[in-house]
Amino acid sequence: MIDRLRFVLQETRESLLRNATMQAAAISTACIALVLLGGAGMALYKLDATAQSLPSRFEAEGVLKMSAPRAQAQQIKTQLEAMPEVERVTLTPREVAWEQEKQKLANDVNLADLPNPLPDKLTVRVRDPQTLPAVSARIAQSPLVEEVIDSRKELQTVLEVSRLVRWIGLGAGGLLLLAALILIYNTVRLTIFSRQREVRVMALLGATLRSIRLPFILEGMTQGVAGGVLAALLVLLTAAFLSDYVVSQWPFLKDMPPGLPPLVVMIGLPGLGALIGGLCAWWATLRYVRI
Amino acid sequence: MVELKQVSVVYGEQHALRRVSLSVEKGEFVFLVGATGAGKSTLFKLLYGELRPTEGEVWVLGQPLHQIKPRELPYLRRRMGIVPQDYPLLPRKTVWENIAYGLRAIGYNETAVRQRVAQVLALVGLNEQARQMPSQLSGGEAQRAAIARAIANHPPLLIADEPTANLDPDTSWEIIELLMRINLRGATVIVSTHNRTIVDRACQRVVAMDRGQIISDVPRGGYPVELDRLYASVML
Repeated sequence: MIDRLRFVLQETRESLLRNATMQAAAISTACIALVLLGGAGMALYKLDATAQSLPSRFEAEGVLKMSAPRAQAQQIKTQLEAMPEVERVTLTPREVAWEQEKQKLANDVNLADLPNPLPDKLTVRVRDPQTLPAVSARIAQSPLVEEVIDSRKELQTVLEVSRLVRWIGLGAGGLLLLAALILIYNTVRLTIFSRQREVRVMALLGATLRSIRLPFILEGMTQGVAGGVLAALLVLLTAAFLSDYVVSQWPFLKDMPPGLPPLVVMIGLPGLGALIGGLCAWWATLRYVRI
Repeated sequence: MVELKQVSVVYGEQHALRRVSLSVEKGEFVFLVGATGAGKSTLFKLLYGELRPTEGEVWVLGQPLHQIKPRELPYLRRRMGIVPQDYPLLPRKTVWENIAYGLRAIGYNETAVRQRVAQVLALVGLNEQARQMPSQLSGGEAQRAAIARAIANHPPLLIADEPTANLDPDTSWEIIELLMRINLRGATVIVSTHNRTIVDRACQRVVAMDRGQIISDVPRGGYPVELDRLYASVML
């Protein structure tokens, strides 16, 4: 078994070294396609995590009228808490809100002498973000509520960007992936043609189709893995650079959730490369290796 | 050992073989002679399963090659030694590696490969050339190396397609002597050739072909007079 494996690996290695230019072409195309797919994947993951982590995705704020009595505010709170969609309701009294605001702006403005302009506020957290519009509408029905604030618009923007990245990533990455598939297929096809003599000799000596095809399939997988490793390195380096740049430009984004773990990228992209490389090579050998 | 029953092979509208019947018994040594295009290579391809007959039956080593499943073919070929006419050796491998390649390709382990390669190199007299590349070999040495690779697996049947092509008379006879030695060790040998001198000298069974048909089958003799007559008529 070890001898057999050594023989197959030796044949694969010889073939890889023999057609260096074609190998480089196939590996670089696979790399570019996987960079685009991997980059899009990472961006989507990050956007999705950001969207998921937005508190506003689950929360709506009901700003009460200045004239609303505290007891009635408590009543509304109780009514909202009774709704099955609602996870919890917090009533922030105007005094507390004002204290918080003063502390927040303490370094910039002195608000100590000003009268409190803030009303009471109800913060409603829902269990499912899908139910947020209905709960917001329910809060707005109360005559004591001045306005309802939720961040559906911001959330919508994140989702739209996410959708755009998905389409661009999938579209361009898909096209390049197709190019990589064709190129790897073609490389293996040309390798098969250049090794017709070996193929025929192996066949006449009684080698099975599977054992003749295996070195070619391993060659395609190697091209895919090599392209995938390069792509993973490029994606991770680019992501690190972009992340630093974005945070330096917009510091408030430093609390964004982390992206895909590097290990996932380092395993995922070469794995995907091996899969497509192996499939292409298998397809080429099905068509061109005969006994 | 080998039996063809009313075998025809048709390419498009051209008959490569027409209702050929041939039987070769175990231990025989058979020359297959005929001009280029007579059908020798087609017949050989039928014997090792590179081609299927349009009609008729091909039996080799008890197996019906006319209806064999592709997955069974490699196992049958392991019981044949095949010396192909074109490019018998792999140019980027030494003589030793060429012979070992065949054995490794069919799953021999490294110990067995080393043993068998040494044995066949000794048998064909190429011990000193073991580490040479094919480009460093003479024509006769290259043919002997190809024969060594074909017999490395102890096949009961050896098929050699024009093993004396482009060789001088002495070297050609050396190759035929080698094949006859292999035959004496028990293998059935079928050889195609144009070389009338060695056919006359070897005095073995001779099957002559012309235009896809067997025109004579002499159990023990020289180059068939039928072919001489045919060539003479063509020349006239």
